[in-house]
Amino acid sequence: MSDVCGDELVDVVVVGGGPAGVSAALAVGDAGAEVLIIEREDRLGGVLKQCIHDGFGVLQYGERLTGPEYAHRHVAALKCRQTQGGQIRVMTGAYLHSLRRDGTRWSIDLITSQGIQSIGTAAVVMATGCRERTDRQIYLHGDRPAGIFTAGQAQRLINIDGVMPGRNVVVLGSGDIGLIMARRFVLEGARVQGVYEIQSTVSGLARNVAQCLEDWNIPLHLGTTVTEVHGRNRVEAVTVCPVDGSGLPDHNAAERIPCDTLILSVGLIPENDIIADLGLPLDSSTGGPAVTQDRETQLPGLYVCGNALTVYDLVDYVSECGQAAGTAATRGATTARSAAAPSAHASAGPVETSGDIGQMVPQLLDLAADQPPVFFFRVKRAMDKATLTISRGGVQVESRRLTYLRPPEMIRYELRERAWAALRRNPGPISVAVEAADGS
Amino acid sequence: MSEQNGRPRRRPAPRPSVTPAGVRRVRRRLRRGGLGSLGCDALNGAVHLTGVVGRWDDRIRAGYIAASVRCRGVVNDIAVSGITEPAMTVPRVTDESLAGKAYDIVVVGAGVVGCAIARELSRFDLRIAVLEKEDDVGVHASSRNDGMIHPGFAPPPGTLKAWFNATGNRMYGDLARELGFQFDRVGSIVLFRSWWLRLLLPIMRLRAHQNGVDSPRVLTRGGVSRLEPNVTARQHGGLQFLSTGIVNPFEVTIAFAENAVQNGVEFHFETVLTGVELEMSGERRQIRSIRTNRGVITAGAVVNAAGSWADAVASLADDRFFTIHGRRGVDAVLDKQLSSTQHHALSMPDLLGSGRTHSKGGGLIPSIDGNLIAGPTAEETPDRENYATTHTEFTEVRDQLSLNDAVSSEFIITYFAGVRPATFTEDFIVERSIRVRNLTHVAGIQSPGLASAPAIAVEAARLAVESLREERGAEMGRNETFNPIRPARIDLSRLPLAERAVLISARPDYGQPVCRCEDVTEGEIRDALRSPLGVCSLDSIKRRTRAGAGRCHGGFCLPRVLEIIHEETGLPLESIRKKSGDSYLVLGRTKKIQRAPTHV
Repeated sequence: MSDVCGDELVDVVVVGGGPAGVSAALAVGDAGAEVLIIEREDRLGGVLKQCIHDGFGVLQYGERLTGPEYAHRHVAALKCRQTQGGQIRVMTGAYLHSLRRDGTRWSIDLITSQGIQSIGTAAVVMATGCRERTDRQIYLHGDRPAGIFTAGQAQRLINIDGVMPGRNVVVLGSGDIGLIMARRFVLEGARVQGVYEIQSTVSGLARNVAQCLEDWNIPLHLGTTVTEVHGRNRVEAVTVCPVDGSGLPDHNAAERIPCDTLILSVGLIPENDIIADLGLPLDSSTGGPAVTQDRETQLPGLYVCGNALTVYDLVDYVSECGQAAGTAATRGATTARSAAAPSAHASAGPVETSGDIGQMVPQLLDLAADQPPVFFFRVKRAMDKATLTISRGGVQVESRRLTYLRPPEMIRYELRERAWAALRRNPGPISVAVEAADGS
Repeated sequence: MSEQNGRPRRRPAPRPSVTPAGVRRVRRRLRRGGLGSLGCDALNGAVHLTGVVGRWDDRIRAGYIAASVRCRGVVNDIAVSGITEPAMTVPRVTDESLAGKAYDIVVVGAGVVGCAIARELSRFDLRIAVLEKEDDVGVHASSRNDGMIHPGFAPPPGTLKAWFNATGNRMYGDLARELGFQFDRVGSIVLFRSWWLRLLLPIMRLRAHQNGVDSPRVLTRGGVSRLEPNVTARQHGGLQFLSTGIVNPFEVTIAFAENAVQNGVEFHFETVLTGVELEMSGERRQIRSIRTNRGVITAGAVVNAAGSWADAVASLADDRFFTIHGRRGVDAVLDKQLSSTQHHALSMPDLLGSGRTHSKGGGLIPSIDGNLIAGPTAEETPDRENYATTHTEFTEVRDQLSLNDAVSSEFIITYFAGVRPATFTEDFIVERSIRVRNLTHVAGIQSPGLASAPAIAVEAARLAVESLREERGAEMGRNETFNPIRPARIDLSRLPLAERAVLISARPDYGQPVCRCEDVTEGEIRDALRSPLGVCSLDSIKRRTRAGAGRCHGGFCLPRVLEIIHEETGLPLESIRKKSGDSYLVLGRTKKIQRAPTHV
């Protein structure tokens, strides 16, 4: 094969060395193909490096690991595979500059401190994670002092750099990192005035509300938001206001809370700027592109996994997602090498969601696949009992009772063999629905 | 697009002193406006207003009534019950580090105007210092605008604004080459709200001619759509000005300042003027020395380029003839994804209503860095350093987005406020003091101040040098080593990969990305920290490199940038600031581990 698209050829390139990327690379290695992980930072692990709280790996390892421990297991597995002769390479301090399609291959330009490197590959797995929504993206107004941090920034400063971004803290937003950081600040001797959430329900997991707020007597104020920041140089206070049903603040009930720090935990946004530049549309509910159960996008040979695809609640799911992408990318890369195999999209159909499903992956189903797919979805509202139905062309192939559904929690649903066979057989559009059952 | 080649007219003379009849006319007009209780006299050639009103708007209205007669300026001492005008923020540091220093010329204020003047002055063999109360250049109005280099059509003919604007616009092409800043004459289109505005075309052409601006191209509705396919359907054609340009306003300010430093000018940050010692020189007074928070300095001549606080500086020299009032504006910055949806600066002013307001009405313009910028709003404020944004202003800015059908508010990545230093005469003040022989005022430089700054600088430098020559009775020598060229900063994101590779082989830190949204490397951040002005705050780095200016807003790179600042400057993380004052980012270490005592 001629080296038409770069200095070097690799079967699969994984972009991002967090839990999704490393899982994907391990899967490629297991399948016997060569893989290169590109990581921007100088160590693998992604955001897990700064997540020193526990609760990682309950599903995968049956243990409550810390983030660094979880990452360490991944990296140890990677090293072990390398010593066993697996062709897994890691480039740290490497920055993806550009990604483009060259005929049937992908061409990648990397920037490192050694210079510019071009790499050609049959398959690219994007495992670029997500970023935090900022104060400007929630239209926060007032002064612009030092002392406004996202929860992730604060986490990195405290847990890795060993410095305190503040001593007297207000947390806006009840995302998981915000809840975890509220507790972290208290553990470090800071005062946390409270967690304020504009919605009427918490956006983080119930276990985090119990372990991070209730156990530490940190007040949670639902239906309340920060409307203004005060302080020219450093945060001096924030104004908080209750909101009405339509989210509009009631300024008559405003309260000024003196503090030196505002921590934001107001949502995560999948990082897909690179693939958006390729012209792939993003699903407005997940923030990632539409993919098949193989995590393949509409561009053949381009896979997206982990929090870049949709923001998961558990790292175990992120790893599972990465693994699926890695396995499929290897298959794609090795068949592409032998023959110009048609993309899975040739046999893929879109999945329509309805009822109370807020977001779901995969959005497309490759009906040629033998393995039944696994659906990951979130519901729009809390339901104690609900029915999940899967049908094709109006014919129901699966119906399942689900209990205790909460919007922050991702639901993993593995389709049964029989249902998958029926789904593949029937003609017509595929739909997945969740409906609340009797009065819930 | 092209440089302007229209011929500028003669620079207008400074405004004349108010006459007793003028003062009487102001009194009459105040009475008619329901403000008869206010006092009105002549002061230093200006109209001097005193008294108390109940609303800030009335204070401003009285100022404009006073400015409706021919006068040098308006000194507005009207108090507003219930409102105390916040004082200027001053640096906390006090030391004697500048005590006893002697300069030929001291420039007060390091905004774009002060920095451009310093650079002009550095053509002479003089000892020059710039005093700035903040920790960097261009912190206030100079960095809080949309970066547009206006053609000079908007200011009323015959004003200094019109003259300096059209003249300054012409200088930008050469300056960009000399000073190594990005500049692009993208052109602007002033859209018509209705077809009959075309009837005003002869008047508009005359105005362009009077202001020395190239005659605009008249575009039909279809002509506009061909140039700007996403333009709003509400337009009915427009005027295209080819000479309108865009710059990054902080890059321009920094470029002037760094070139001044290259040519021997000293910049003293966190240094504020606290007093002026006057002495008699023949019939007139002159400044002998100036007091600062860092000691007393002697100065042969002083240039007041103090922006929002230029009236406070004039007051310290007992030379009040104008009052500054702040006019806030909010701009919104849109994601770079939209950069290809619009090419020209677009605006759709209310051409008939513009006589009633003191703003050009804002628009939607491309920025030199690829973002679109919407704004600005205009609102009078008693607080000249209030950069807080409000929901109301933000909503108003969002309306500008409707000029381009491809954009919507979900693409807004950030927004900011600025305060323009307006005078009631609404014209620039660029003149030597009548009372104080060696003082030159450069005040009221609001929009289009950025476009005008290069031309203002030439004139202000001429005036300051003239005052020095009068005193010394000799011509000032030229600076033989003056170098007009400032090397452009290395901006890797603008370079082709092959060129980046060459740079990385010499400096591996150019291959270490720090801010991924804006593609900024560690090497570029180190360059900024090693730059001639010696700045080290987070905002200073952001303004120079764009690290943290992208869509994640520093979410990922902030800790790394702090580390690099620490490595370059030796400052502990707890001492690194976001900007001036007590804007510390980190408030201490996490729990310290108590080391067990070592027993010998």
